Amino acid sequence: MNISLHIQEGLQNLFTSKLRSMLALLGILVGTASVVAMVLGGQLATNEALKQFKTLGTDLLAISLTDNQEDNHASVQDQLSLDQARSVMRADKVILDVAPYTQLYQAMQYEGHELNGGVLGVTESFSRIVHVDIVQGRFISTLDKYAMYAVVGDGINKKIMQYSHRSALGQQVQVGNAIFTVVGIAKPWPENSFVYANIDNSIMVPLLTTMALSKYASISNMILRLSPDAHIEQVQHQITKFLMQYVPHKRLFFRSAQELIDRMAKQSQIFTVFLGLIGSISLLVGGIGVMNIMLVSVVERRREIGIRLAVGAKRSDIRTLFLVEAVMLALLGGTLGVVIGIMIAYVMAIFWHWEFIFFFLPPVIGFAVSVATGVFFGFYPAYKAAKLDPILALRAE
Amino acid sequence: MSSLVSLQHVTKVYRTDHSEYHALKDINFDIQRGEMLAIIGASGSGKSTMMNIIGFLDHCTTGNYLFSNMNVSHLSDTELSIIRNQKIGFVFQAFFLLPRMTALQNVMLPLYYREEAKDIAIQKSMAMLEKVGMQRFAHHKPNQLSGGQQQRVAIARALVNDPDIILADEPTGALDSKTGDEVMDLFLHLNKHENRTIVIITHDKEISRLCQRVVTLRDGMIV
Repeated sequence: MNISLHIQEGLQNLFTSKLRSMLALLGILVGTASVVAMVLGGQLATNEALKQFKTLGTDLLAISLTDNQEDNHASVQDQLSLDQARSVMRADKVILDVAPYTQLYQAMQYEGHELNGGVLGVTESFSRIVHVDIVQGRFISTLDKYAMYAVVGDGINKKIMQYSHRSALGQQVQVGNAIFTVVGIAKPWPENSFVYANIDNSIMVPLLTTMALSKYASISNMILRLSPDAHIEQVQHQITKFLMQYVPHKRLFFRSAQELIDRMAKQSQIFTVFLGLIGSISLLVGGIGVMNIMLVSVVERRREIGIRLAVGAKRSDIRTLFLVEAVMLALLGGTLGVVIGIMIAYVMAIFWHWEFIFFFLPPVIGFAVSVATGVFFGFYPAYKAAKLDPILALRAE
Repeated sequence: MSSLVSLQHVTKVYRTDHSEYHALKDINFDIQRGEMLAIIGASGSGKSTMMNIIGFLDHCTTGNYLFSNMNVSHLSDTELSIIRNQKIGFVFQAFFLLPRMTALQNVMLPLYYREEAKDIAIQKSMAMLEKVGMQRFAHHKPNQLSGGQQQRVAIARALVNDPDIILADEPTGALDSKTGDEVMDLFLHLNKHENRTIVIITHDKEISRLCQRVVTLRDGMIV
């Protein structure tokens, strides 16, 4: 018998028992929607988490220098000078740019008001590598050397504006005993776990100035931009060898953006699979619902099965009849479920201000799994229907 | 001339865990082409079992069943379905029309399992409805028809595949005597003018009197 007739007949049968079909449909729909929404939502969340790295670029390498705890020789004399830090460029030709920075832990004031924030000693290259953009004024320049100039982050600027009702540009900020003149204001900077400093809530001053102001201000961090074809481990090895000649008692910690992204992506992947599994449980429940309803349908339609067998239906025809109904329920439920799942993911994206990207895979998986569920859970009732004894079936009330 | 149906030493035993029930005991019995035959007997005499075996709904336990000289005792379910579709037309006491379908769709059902093209199926089915005087009711559903009308539709369904034999199980059992007579007239007409082989299973002596031959079953044996 051809399949279009089967489908016509299946539709007719489903339409006859509307409420029951609707309920079975609902089970599959909710299951599919939850699989699609969860997996798609998981991917959107991953995408969002990775976005901050991607804006910076994946070719960054961060180095932290810390004192070796077990080594008593470690002393403040064991410090990297700016020139030594810059010369890291020579360690490997894949190093394109380097931005060493210091952190100063000193109280910061504006006209007697406490400003809670950090002080970063930076060089010109810092803005290039970490993408600090300027709204007003300029960034720290190489020519500033020991100058008492500062660039304020967006958060600090706002605080100063609260007190003075005008832009921080040209005003003065006190750090410890030193007075800095604000020469530039930075744009809001998206938080990023790759650069430890919170730039919005910091002022940036020339690196040499910080080293002159405090003996505790040492170059503890560097951010390097590498060429895209760089072999990370090899570069790390070269840098370690290179820096050890200046600071043999320090320990180096490397973090590469690519490595971080890979690790995060992997975590998210596990997370997404996990979400998908949770969603699948509801699809499983939906599938059991389909089986339940199809079994009821088989019992109710025993006489019909008997009549069909009597007029010459083969057992395979009976099996197909019920299987087609189950699959159609799953198809319809699956299609609606995919649509609703995408809508849920879309609403989630709006709610958490994520960028909505349509990933092709989750809907396809959701749909395929729902149809497979229909076939799987529809098979047993169909098999049972096909196995009925025509005589007993005809005798059924 | 060879028989259309020939049962040779046919027995049917129903087994449960503790007991055996012999529904048919060593039945030897032939049906000729063009015959109109009644099988009568009290309930439990084995007449329904015999109809099920003749109609390929059931297998006999031992013995041979020859249909048009072909031994069909050991055919598979699928093969039996095909034979049933092509050679047998059933008419039941309770009509057994599918309630969701119109009269026309009910008549078309056997053709549907024969993979007949839809337009041809409609054409053939309408012709059959006309033959039983039901063409005006082609698009009515069974619950809109009287018992006699439903049985006519059922007879049209039994005829649509041009079967070798029509098996009617108490075809007038659910009808009042007037409509019952009309249905019997239809069978007699089909037998006389179309030379249809018709087997009527009944416990009604009035009905059996209309047939050329009467076979009486008692306790699974022909008497």
